[in-house]
Amino acid sequence: MEILDSGLLQRALLEVVVVGATCGALGVWLLHLHHTYAAESLAHAMLPGLVVAALVGAPLLLGATGGVLAAAALIALAARDTRVGAEVAVGVTVTTAFGLGALLALAPDVPARLGELLFGDLLGTNTTDLLVAGGLAGLVALALVAGHRPLSAAVFDPLAAPSLGVRPGRVELALLALLALAIVAAVQALGNLLVLALIVAPASAGIRLGRSVGGQIALAAGVGALSGLLGLVASAELDVAAGASVALAAIALYVLATLVRPPGPRATGPRRSLVETLSG
Amino acid sequence: MRWLTDPLAVPFMQRALLATLLLAVAAGLLGVWIVLRRLAFFAHAVGTATFPGLVVAGPWGLAPPVAALGAGLGFAGLLSRMTRRGTTSADAATGLLLTAALALGAILASDVYRSGAGVDRLLFGTLLGLSDGDLALAAAAAAAAVLATAAMARTWLATGFDPAGARALGVSAARGDWLLLALLAMTVVAVLPAVGALLVSTLLVVPAATARLLTSSLATLLGAAVAIAALEGVGGLLLAYHLDLPPGPAIAVIGGAGFALAALASRTRAVR
Amino acid sequence: MNASAVTADAGAARVEVAGLAAAYGSGDVAVRDVTFTAAGGEAVAVLGPNGGGKTTLFRALLGELPATTGSARAHGTIAYVPQTERSRLDFPVSALDVALMGAYARTPWYRRIAGADRTLARAALQRVGLAERAGTRFGALSGGQRQRALIARALVQDAGIVLLDEPFAGVDRSSEEAVMSILDELRAEGRVLLIATHDIEQARRWDQVLCLSTTQVAYGPPAQTLTTTVLESTYGAEIVVIDGGERAIAVQHHSHSHSS
Repeated sequence: MEILDSGLLQRALLEVVVVGATCGALGVWLLHLHHTYAAESLAHAMLPGLVVAALVGAPLLLGATGGVLAAAALIALAARDTRVGAEVAVGVTVTTAFGLGALLALAPDVPARLGELLFGDLLGTNTTDLLVAGGLAGLVALALVAGHRPLSAAVFDPLAAPSLGVRPGRVELALLALLALAIVAAVQALGNLLVLALIVAPASAGIRLGRSVGGQIALAAGVGALSGLLGLVASAELDVAAGASVALAAIALYVLATLVRPPGPRATGPRRSLVETLSG
Repeated sequence: MRWLTDPLAVPFMQRALLATLLLAVAAGLLGVWIVLRRLAFFAHAVGTATFPGLVVAGPWGLAPPVAALGAGLGFAGLLSRMTRRGTTSADAATGLLLTAALALGAILASDVYRSGAGVDRLLFGTLLGLSDGDLALAAAAAAAAVLATAAMARTWLATGFDPAGARALGVSAARGDWLLLALLAMTVVAVLPAVGALLVSTLLVVPAATARLLTSSLATLLGAAVAIAALEGVGGLLLAYHLDLPPGPAIAVIGGAGFALAALASRTRAVR
Repeated sequence: MNASAVTADAGAARVEVAGLAAAYGSGDVAVRDVTFTAAGGEAVAVLGPNGGGKTTLFRALLGELPATTGSARAHGTIAYVPQTERSRLDFPVSALDVALMGAYARTPWYRRIAGADRTLARAALQRVGLAERAGTRFGALSGGQRQRALIARALVQDAGIVLLDEPFAGVDRSSEEAVMSILDELRAEGRVLLIATHDIEQARRWDQVLCLSTTQVAYGPPAQTLTTTVLESTYGAEIVVIDGGERAIAVQHHSHSHSS
């Protein structure tokens, strides 16, 4: 393919494939633990960090790191609220942080990079971005291999996990730390609104198709990498936004997975309305 | 004082203030039910899902509220379909649909219709150009919220407390829930012009959550949520006017500060 | 290695609880004044209503909940067999994977699970009668088979002390017999079994009965503990005495449907 002749696209491709595989693999655990909201919240609430980095001309990765850390601290604080409930408190925190980011970015006399921060600037990947993203992805992958058994025990059976030598609380905390790393690695490519697509869609496809946890993770990583490749090629061929193409490619592959393997029989029990389903 | 009164002389600000007060009634009342039924994330997701609808509204010659409503209802319908069998969890399905809507909207806006700077307005709201239709929709949403709260408070309270028990009490949980969702969709669409697709929570969730920190009786909760939404909405408008910003982010920051203050205040009160 | 390799470590296993009180973060005392000792080879039924402190006692023994007063000591490796619906039925692990989890604590993170442990896990599944279902997904097993897979995990842990939470809830008759005979074997090998139950007939089968209703109501052999007086103070008014006081059943309220 001739698009690979350009150094710009080579870097973008490498970046998005590495990031897609990592987010896909990590996403399987996040979905099994029902942490989609955490992923969405962390990604959304990091916006002020990104904007400040863009304003002062600091590397985006630095802003992303600061943004994720601040977001994580605020969300952890809000999630302890028992009066309005964690979901609502986290929602308020995320809305506020996101609004603050937009406010800073849209204040006049500022380079208007908000679009890139929200939806990604995959083609703007430079070699440093690539190296850092690769390093972070490697770290996440290593941690997932090392933590496979504790994660299995903590997800499958949190009550019995301590008697198996696993502390579920610590395992979840470690997983959220990995999530933060993955978001920092992926935000350059997908932007803080679309990172979630690479975390949720390939993992959903992997979970639908895989019969064992290991299989699900391998499939999700594959689907994530493939989403990156297909999305980037489509974006170059059709001349559309790269990050959004990658996100849509990931979702299209998930839809394909559901067609290959339709869901099992309807769950039994009383019919629940959408509101009941949503409010758990 | 001039800081407060000067904007009132500007016609477009008068319209924006009127719209905000109407929206405060609609969003404040409905927000209480959203918070009590733990639908905060869903409300945010529906708002976000309207983004592609808003993008195509202009080029397709549709009224923006109609296009937004279509996108929002499409989102809710797909979500209901995906989660009905119980094999896909609600949070994963919401995440998938949310990012799909955003990605689709981004491509439509940047590459198909080249909406340019208008995108910021769709995402974060505007003070300018609130049409008569927008005002009428805000008034209708406010009236619907008042009527529905008066008629449905008992049903919503019973189903929110214990869905299975409510069925046994003979309360039609399903009908009440559908009404709640329909009203939520209408209110989301009504607040879109003012605060944008990404920040509907600023009016729909934050004021009610703040009120929840301060009171737990339903009547005071409803009143306080409306009052807080009105205060924060007007404050955000003034801030946005003076800083030349879209109102959504300004209201969001003020709302966050209000929530933090209420959290601190209620904590010290609880300690005493 | 054959099935007989799966035996207890266990003669020295002991559970000693002295003056235990434990509370959750909210500060409400969940259980208090619990004192009993169970030695290897003893099976203790822990009887009481929901919220009576059965799970709290288990959590204190597992070291997850510190004692506010007194102590709960487990001398020996301890295994926990939860109610199967508390485990994740949609999680893609096979019966063998579940049994292998018993070897997690002794496998460093950088090693594969040892071949000996794999053999042990297969032997444990064989022993609980699940050899043919080793590759079946946990969620696809019947209630009784799930219970047995979790017991196989406890065998791989080689636990001297096994805590079982309502092991017969949602289990059909034939599986109940199978689980019962495995538990009898475990007891005969010198392990300590603590079996949480709210079924009085079930409790009658075991060596000792510990009646809990926030506080310890009684501890001793069934003949001494399962009296109308004790049962009434355990369950309050929710007790129906039949057969002229010979038999009693607890009226169970199913208010815990789909929370937690």
